[in-house]
Amino acid sequence: MSDDHYSEILRRDPRAERIARNRLHALHVAVSVGGQATEVRGPSGLLRKNPHTVGFTGPNGIKRIDRLKGNAVAIKNGRRNAPGSQEALLPLHVIAEPAFTIVVVPDMVGGRLTAHDKDVLGQAHKLARAIEADSNETGVVMVVAFGVCKEENFDKAGVDRLLLLDSAEYEGYCPEQQIAALAQVEVRFKPKYWLFPDSVHGGTDLGSRLAARLGERPVAQAWQVDTKISICRGAGGSVDITRATPRLLMLAEECANPIDESRHEVLPVAWESIPVVSPQLLDKGQVAVDPNAIPLAEAEFILSAGNGINNWDQFHTIAAALGATEGASRVAVDDGYMPRFRQVGASGTWVTARVYLAVGISGAIQHMQGIGQCDKVVTINTDAGCDMVKRADLSVIGDSETVLGELLSLIEMFRQQPHQSQNSVSNSVKNAVENGAKEGAENAA
Amino acid sequence: MVFEWLHPVLIATALLLAAIGAVRRVNLWRAGQAESVDFVAGLIAMPGRYLHDLHDIVERDKYMSKTHAATGGGFVLSLAMIVLVHLLGLESQILAWALLVSLTLMFVGAVFVFKRRLNPPSRLSKGPWMRLPKSLLAFSGAFFILTLPMAGVLPEGFLSSSTGGWILTAVLTVFIAMGLSEMLLGMTWGGPMKHAFAGALHLAFHRRPERFGGGRSTGLKPVALDQRVLGVQKPEDFKWNQLLGFDACVQCGKCEAVCPAFAAGQPLNPKKLIQDMVVGMAGGSDADYAGSPYPGKEIGQANGGPLLTITEGLIDPQTLWSCTTCRACVEECPMMIEHVDAIVDMRRFLTMEKGSTPNKGAEVLDNLIATDNPNGHAPNSRTNWAADQNLPLLSDVKETDVIFWVSDGAFDMRSQRILRAFVKLLKAANVDFAVLGAEELDSGDVARRLGDDATFQSLAKRNIATLSQYKFKRIVTTDPHAYHCLRNEYADFAEGIADDLFDNIEVLHHTTFLNQLVQAGKLKLNPYKGGTVTYHDPCYLGRYNGEYEAPRELLRSLGIEIAEMERSGFRSRCCGGGGGAPITDIPGERRIADMRMEDVQTTGAELIAVGCQQCTAMLEGVVEPRPQVKDIAEILIESLVEPLAKELH
Amino acid sequence: MQPDSSTGLNGKGQDLKIVSLISIGQHPASGRARRAEQDGRAVELGMTLAASSSTQNLTVLHAGDSQQAALRSYAGMGLESVRVLQLRESADAVKTLSEYLHKHAPDIILTGVRAESGESSGMMPYLLGESLGWPVVSRIADIVSIKEGVAEILQALPRGQRRALTVRLPFIASVDNAAPEPRQSAFGPANRAFMEQQQCHSEPDTARNGWSIVSARKRPKRLKIVKAKTAADRFKAATAKPQGAGGKIMKNQPAAEQAQAIFDLLLEEGVLR
Repeated sequence: MSDDHYSEILRRDPRAERIARNRLHALHVAVSVGGQATEVRGPSGLLRKNPHTVGFTGPNGIKRIDRLKGNAVAIKNGRRNAPGSQEALLPLHVIAEPAFTIVVVPDMVGGRLTAHDKDVLGQAHKLARAIEADSNETGVVMVVAFGVCKEENFDKAGVDRLLLLDSAEYEGYCPEQQIAALAQVEVRFKPKYWLFPDSVHGGTDLGSRLAARLGERPVAQAWQVDTKISICRGAGGSVDITRATPRLLMLAEECANPIDESRHEVLPVAWESIPVVSPQLLDKGQVAVDPNAIPLAEAEFILSAGNGINNWDQFHTIAAALGATEGASRVAVDDGYMPRFRQVGASGTWVTARVYLAVGISGAIQHMQGIGQCDKVVTINTDAGCDMVKRADLSVIGDSETVLGELLSLIEMFRQQPHQSQNSVSNSVKNAVENGAKEGAENAA
Repeated sequence: MVFEWLHPVLIATALLLAAIGAVRRVNLWRAGQAESVDFVAGLIAMPGRYLHDLHDIVERDKYMSKTHAATGGGFVLSLAMIVLVHLLGLESQILAWALLVSLTLMFVGAVFVFKRRLNPPSRLSKGPWMRLPKSLLAFSGAFFILTLPMAGVLPEGFLSSSTGGWILTAVLTVFIAMGLSEMLLGMTWGGPMKHAFAGALHLAFHRRPERFGGGRSTGLKPVALDQRVLGVQKPEDFKWNQLLGFDACVQCGKCEAVCPAFAAGQPLNPKKLIQDMVVGMAGGSDADYAGSPYPGKEIGQANGGPLLTITEGLIDPQTLWSCTTCRACVEECPMMIEHVDAIVDMRRFLTMEKGSTPNKGAEVLDNLIATDNPNGHAPNSRTNWAADQNLPLLSDVKETDVIFWVSDGAFDMRSQRILRAFVKLLKAANVDFAVLGAEELDSGDVARRLGDDATFQSLAKRNIATLSQYKFKRIVTTDPHAYHCLRNEYADFAEGIADDLFDNIEVLHHTTFLNQLVQAGKLKLNPYKGGTVTYHDPCYLGRYNGEYEAPRELLRSLGIEIAEMERSGFRSRCCGGGGGAPITDIPGERRIADMRMEDVQTTGAELIAVGCQQCTAMLEGVVEPRPQVKDIAEILIESLVEPLAKELH
Repeated sequence: MQPDSSTGLNGKGQDLKIVSLISIGQHPASGRARRAEQDGRAVELGMTLAASSSTQNLTVLHAGDSQQAALRSYAGMGLESVRVLQLRESADAVKTLSEYLHKHAPDIILTGVRAESGESSGMMPYLLGESLGWPVVSRIADIVSIKEGVAEILQALPRGQRRALTVRLPFIASVDNAAPEPRQSAFGPANRAFMEQQQCHSEPDTARNGWSIVSARKRPKRLKIVKAKTAADRFKAATAKPQGAGGKIMKNQPAAEQAQAIFDLLLEEGVLR
C-alpha cells in the first residue's frame, strides 16, 4: 500500500476535543473559533457540523454564511500530525479489456515525461474518447518508453499501459533499435494511432523514421486533431493545412490539455524479446561542449556583462566556473572588452536563455528586447531604479565585484562536494514507479 | 665654347626622356576600362579648373596656396622660357629678364616649401617629397645664374672665362641636372612632380566634370550588371580616368587628417589607399611609401600589379570596409580625387563577386532582398508606427503636393519619434501631404554603400515604379541617406520606367522644407528656452547635398545661437553611421561617435541638433553623461505654437 | 572539417560523391522565396567537404522548377551549376529524387531538416533513406571526419549540446540550424551559374488533393487552467495579478547573503552542473 493510506488514519486529540466541548475552558475560543470551526470530528470519528460557528457577523450585525467553504485561510488544527496538504485521490480510470490501443512514444527527456509528452498523452485520450463516442469501444493509451526511466507520475499523466524498454541496447541514441521495437508493437497491437511529440528531443526523428518504415504519411506539427481531420502547420509554420487524420501523428506543443482529473492504471505490458538489430549509427556519447562555443541564441545559461564590470578577469573566471555562456551589452562590446558576436540585444543576438544573469547592465531598451524570451533574469547592479532591476526576478544591489567574488567562492565549494544525490533520487523513483505499477495491477484485478 | 652645347643638350634630353615617360604613364592609365570623356572640352576647361576649382580648395590653407602659386606658376613660366632661351637659343634680353623674374618667383616659393618641410606635420609624406624643395631651389637657382649672362647682368662668356667660371659651370651643371631630373623626368617617371602632369590631365578628364564651377556630383555611378566582373577586382578594372586620378595625388594628407576611420584607429588611410592604387596600377610594393600607414598595419607588406586582385595582397578588405563614405576626404582633396568611388568600386567586387561582406553585412543584404528593409521586419509592418497618425496614403489619394518619404526609421522606435514630430509639423502647417505606406521600400542606400548594386538597383527601380503611379510635386524625407539616393542616384534608373519623373519634381530634406515653411510664416514658433545648442551636419545632407544653411536658419529662427564645433559645415566629422560602417563594424581603437561627442563637448553644448536618424542613433549610443541629441523636427515641436483647434479643422 | 589525407575518399578508394538537396525557402516575415536556411547549410557543408577532397565532387540538386529565381541564391555561394530535375508543382518529388539518387549512387546526401515551403513535414530524408536502404542521421551540426568509409558526425541537440555519432557510408543526413552558416550568396556568380535542367518522369502527389491550405492562424496561448471548486476561487483566479509581476530585490544585505541568493536560484533552476 502506498503512503497515502497511512495518512488516512485518524489521530484524535482528546484534549483538544475536550476543550472544544467545554465552553468555559480558557482555551475554548482559541481552539473552537480560531480552530476548525465549522466541521469537528465527533467522538466516533464522524464529521460534525457546528452551526454556531458557520458564517460570521456582517457589518450591520446580521449573521452571514461564509461561502468560502473553508477556502479562506487554511486553518491548521485538529489533526496535529496531519501531513501539510492532502491531495485528493483522483478517480482511477480502468479499462480491463481494451478494444484498441493508441500508442504514444514520449520524449522522456532525462527519463521524465516532458510537458509536451503530457500534452500528447492528453491528445491520445481525446482521440480515445472520440472513438468511444463513435463506436462504443473502449481503448487504452499505451506508452512506449525507452531507456532509463525516472518518471513517478505515469498514472496521473494518463498512461493506461506502459511498455518500458530499458535494457542495455536502448541506452543512448539508438533509433534503429527503437524502430525495430516499434515495428513489433505495430505487429502485435495494430495501434489505432501512433502519436509522437513533434520535438527536437527525438520525437520528430523517431516519428519520421517509423512513418517511413510503415509507409504512413504522417502529419507534422499538428496542433488541432480529432478522429476525422487534423490541422497542422506547413510551409515552415506559415500555413495551416487541414487534412484527414492519418494513423501517425507528430503533434505540436499544446496540441491538447494534459490529463489532470483521473489516474490511470500504468499496467506494464508483458513483452517477449525484441530482436537486437546491429545499428549502422553508433552513439559515441555526448560531447563536452565549451559553454562559450554554444551560440548565444541557443545558450541555456548566460552570464552577461555590461558597463558596470571593472574586473574582467574575474568575470571570465566566474563564467567558466558557472559553466555559463558569456554575453555582453553593447557598451561592453563597443569598449572592446567583448567581441561583437557576444552582444545581446536588438542589434546583437536575441537570446532564449532559461537563466540570464546580467552583471552591471542597466538595461537599455534594445537590450531588454533581446532578453524578452528569457525565463529567469537575475541582475547584479548598483542602481536599484534601472530597467533591468524592474525586469529581473532577483536583483542584487551592490558592488558587482564583491558579489561575484562571493558567488565564485560558493561555486568552488559546490564543485568540491561530491554530489551523489542524483543516484539516490533515481533509485527511490524507480521504486515508486514499480509500486505504482503494482498498485495498478491490483486495481485492475 | 666647349660647353655651349651642354645645357641645351641636357634640357633636350630631359624633355625627351620626360616624353618617353609620359607615353609609358599614359599607357598605364589606358589599361583601365573605357570611359567616354570630352577630351577637347576637358583640355580647354583645364586651366580654368586649375585656377578656380582646385585653387579654391588649396586656398583654404593660405600659406600653401601662396607658396604653390609662386612655385608652380614660376615653374611653368620658367620652363616655357627656358625652352625658348636655353634650348632654342632665342636671344632676347627682355625674355631673359622675364625668365629671371619668374625664376625668382619660383625660388621664393621654393624657399617657403623648404621652410614648410623643415618640420612637416605628420599628414605629409616624407621620402622623395623631402627632396623636392631642394630640387626646386637647385632648378630655379641654377637656371637663374645660367640666365644672368643673357640678361646682360654678367658678361657673356663669364661662365667659361676663368677657372672660377669653370668650376661654377660644373656646379651649375650638377644643379641643373638635378633640377631637370626632378622637374621633368620625375614628372612622368613617378617622382613627386608627377602630380603636375597627371594632375593637369586629371583635371581635364575628370570623371565628374560637374564638380567644377561650383557644381556637386556625389551620386555613385551605376554598375552594368551584365559585366564580366562586377566591381573592381584588379587595378585594370577601374576606369582609365580613375587610374589617372590616383596618379594626381600630391600626398598632402589632407584626407588623412579628416578621415574619421583613420582617427578612430581603423585600418584606413585615404592617402595610403590612393598610393596603393598607384602601386597596383604600376606594379610593385608599397615599400617606398613614406607617409602614415593604415593604423595597425605595417608598410612594405603590400604587393600589387595591374592584373592582380587588389584585395589579395595589396589591400586588406578591412581597409575598404572601414570607410563611412562621409566624403570628408573627397571634400578636402586639392586634386579632387574620388576616394569614395574607388572604395565602393572595390566593395562591389567583394560583395557581388566574392560574397564576403563582413559581419552583419550578408544578413542585412539578405534581408533587403527578402523583405525590402535591412532588419528583416515584415514588409507590411512598415506603417505600424503611424497607426495613430491618420496619414493619407497615396494609394488612396493618388495625388498630393508633398510625399513624405518615411524611410526605414519607420521600424525603429527612436526614429519614430522624429517621424511623429515631423508629421505634427506638417499637419500644423496645413501641408497637403501623403505617404506611400507599405508601398515604400528601403531606399537602397545601405545596399549600395555595401557594394550590392544589384539589390540597390532593384529597390530603386521598384521605388521609381511606385512613385511614377502618382502625381506629386515634392518628396520630403527626414533621412538624408534616402534623400541623397532619391535626389542624386535614382535618376540613373528612371529610364524606361518614368523617364522624366525626376525632372519635374523636387526632392527635399525635411530641414529644407521646414525652413521654407517657417520663412513663409506657416509655422509659428516660440523662442527656444534651453541651454547651448550645437548642430551636427550629417554627411549625406551637408557634403553630399550642400545643405548647410537651412538647418542653421531653422535653429536661428528659434532664437538659438549655434555654438559651432570646430569641425562643422563642409568639414563636419562623420558620426560613424554612414556607408554601412555600423554593419561591417571594423574594429578600431576608438569609436567615431565618441570622437564626435568630444567635438560636441568642447562647445559646452547641452543639446545637439541633428538632421538624421542615423546620426541620432550613433550619437545617442555614446555612454552617458553626454548632451542630449534631438532631431531638428523634435526641437521645433517643443517650440511650436499650436494652431487653434478650429484652424486645424 | 579537419583536413585529412583520407577525408576525400569514400573507403573504396574512390572520390567522395556528395549531393546536397535544395528546396525553395520562404522568408518568415515576407513570405518571399529565398534560399532556405537549412538547405543553405547543407550546401555549405557539402562545399566544405568537397573542398577538402581533391576533386570538387558536389552536386547541388533540386527537384522542381529550374526557372525559380531563388535557386540562383544557392548558386551565388559559388556553384558553377545547379542540377534541376524538372517537375511540375503538383508532382511528388520523393520518387523522382530516389530514382535519380539510386542511379547516381552518391556517398553522402545532405538535406535540410524541414522545408520552408510546401508540406514541410521533414519526411524527405527518411523517405529517401527508406527507399535507398541507407541510414539517416538527423539534425547534424558537422561532419568531423571521414576515414575509411566511416564518417564521424556531430549531431545537434537542443541548447547547443552535441552528440558524436559514427556512421558508415553511404548515408543521408539532415542538416540542423546549428551547422555552420551558409556563405554569402553573391550576385555575380548567382547570375552566371548554369541551371542544368533534366527532364524526368514524375507522378502527381494525389494525396494532397483533399487538403485545404490557409495562412496560419495564430494559436491561442494556453491559459493557466484553474480548477476552482467555488465561485470565489474562480473570481480570485480571474482577478489575481499574474505572478512574478515584481522580482525580489536585495538591497542592503551583506554581499555573502546576496551571492547565496543568486547561487540558490541557479541551483534551483538546474543550470549548475
